[in-house]
Amino acid sequence: MTNETIEDTTEKPAEVADDDVRILAFLCNWCSYAGADLAGVSRMQYPPNVRDIRVMCTGTISPYFVLKAFQEGIDGVLIAGCHIGDCHYGKGNYATAKRFRVLEDLLTSIGVDPRRIRLEWVSAAEGAKFQQVITDFTEQVRQAGRSPLGRKGGGQA
Amino acid sequence: MREELAAAIREALEDGAAAAVFLTGEDGTAEPRVARDPSDAAIEKVATGDERYPMAGFVMMLSPLLEGGIAVAGRECDRRMFVELAKHGQVDPDRIRFIGIPCSQELADACGCDHPCPPDSIVACAAGPAQARLVEEATSEDAAERFAFWMDSFSRCIKCMGCRNVCPMCYCKECALDNLELVGPESAPPDIPIFHLIRAVDMADHCVDCGMCEAICPAEIPLRSLYRQAREVVKEAFGYEPGVNPDEKSPIEKLGEVSDLAGMEEGFRTT
Ligand code: SF4
Ligand code: SF4
Ligand code: FES
Repeated sequence: MTNETIEDTTEKPAEVADDDVRILAFLCNWCSYAGADLAGVSRMQYPPNVRDIRVMCTGTISPYFVLKAFQEGIDGVLIAGCHIGDCHYGKGNYATAKRFRVLEDLLTSIGVDPRRIRLEWVSAAEGAKFQQVITDFTEQVRQAGRSPLGRKGGGQA
Repeated sequence: MREELAAAIREALEDGAAAAVFLTGEDGTAEPRVARDPSDAAIEKVATGDERYPMAGFVMMLSPLLEGGIAVAGRECDRRMFVELAKHGQVDPDRIRFIGIPCSQELADACGCDHPCPPDSIVACAAGPAQARLVEEATSEDAAERFAFWMDSFSRCIKCMGCRNVCPMCYCKECALDNLELVGPESAPPDIPIFHLIRAVDMADHCVDCGMCEAICPAEIPLRSLYRQAREVVKEAFGYEPGVNPDEKSPIEKLGEVSDLAGMEEGFRTT
C-alpha cells in the first residue's frame, strides 16, 4: 500500500455534504472486507461517509498510516479486522490491538478527541455488525465534528 | 569525584578494555574523548560536572571501528540507553563496561529526573529522586486547550532535525521523518502534528527520558513532556518502561500471547 492510496481516499465522496465528516476505514481482506461485502450484497444501508482501504491483515497497519490520514484531513479512522484468534496470519491482530491502544491513548493525552478512532473486530459473516459499526462510528465522529488535525481540515477542536 | 573517575577509567583500560569513552571539559563545555592507553593525559581531564552528551550514540558510531571491550563513563540515563539499545541489537552489552557517574541534586532537580543514581556509581550518590513533571499546559483538564497548546508548540518547529539527531534511541538508518509520502517537504513548520507524533509514537517504548532533545530544540518545544506522556501511555497499558529491565522486551515489538491483551478491553472494542 502506498500513501497515494491514503491521499486518494481522503477525497470527499460526492454524496457527502461539504460540512459532513469523512471517515477512512482500514479493512482486513479476510474478514472485515468480506463482512463489508456481505453487507453490500445484502443491500444493508449505511452512511456514505466512509472510504475504505483493504489491507491483507490489520497487523500491516502502521500507526503512521493513521496519523497520515488525519494529516490529510480525515475526521475519523476505523480499523476493522479479524477477531482475536481468527487472524489468518495467527497473531497479526495482537500487534494491532497493542498499537491501537498506544495510539489512542497518546492522541487522547495531547487533546485529540478519542471519538475519532475506533478498532473493531468484524468477521466475514458479520455483515449486520459491519453495518452497525459504520453507522455508530459515523454518528460518533459527527459528534466530534470536523477534525482540527489536518492541514486540509478545519472546524472546531 | 574526578580522581575516582580517572582511576576507574585507567583501571578499565588496564583490565583489557580496548578503549574508554568519556567527556572532558569545564564550565558547561564538553568534548567526547576516546582513550586507548591508561597513561593518556586526557583521562586526568575527565569531566564531572553537569555536561550532557549522547554517549550511547557516540559509542554506537565507534563500536564497529574497534575490537574488544569499551569502557563508558556516563550517567544513569546513558546507562539506560545502553540497556534499551542492547535489546534492539544496536549495542553488544558484553562489550560495554559502564562506569556510573552520579548526578548532582541540582541536575536531578532541573531535569525532573527520578533516577539520578546509577546502580554502581564510582562515588556515593547523594542526589535524591526529583519529581518528573509535564509542562503545565499539557496537564490541562480541557482537551481542546491541550490540543491548542501542542499545535501552537509544534508550529514553532523549524525542522532542524536536532531532536532526532541527538537522540541515541533514534537509531534507524531509514527514518520515517524523511519519507516524503508521510511528511511533506515543507519546513517551517513541517506538516504538523504528524511530524511530532510519528516520533512520539516511536519513542513511547524507546525513550529513556534523558531530556537531550528538549535541551537541543531551538524552538523550545517541550518535547520531553510529549515523550513523557507517550512513555506514560505504554507504562499504563503494559507496565513497560524503556531502559529499566534488560530481560524484558517492549510488548509492542513482539506479537506476544493472548494473555498480554487481557485488561486492554478498555483500549478497544471486542463486541
Ligand atoms: S528524552 Fe529525547 S533524546 Fe532522550 S531518549 Fe527520549 S526522545 Fe531521545
Ligand atoms: S529540535 Fe525542535 S525545531 Fe528542531 S526538528 Fe526537533 S522539534 Fe523541530
Ligand atoms: S488477517 Fe485479518 S486481522 Fe490479520
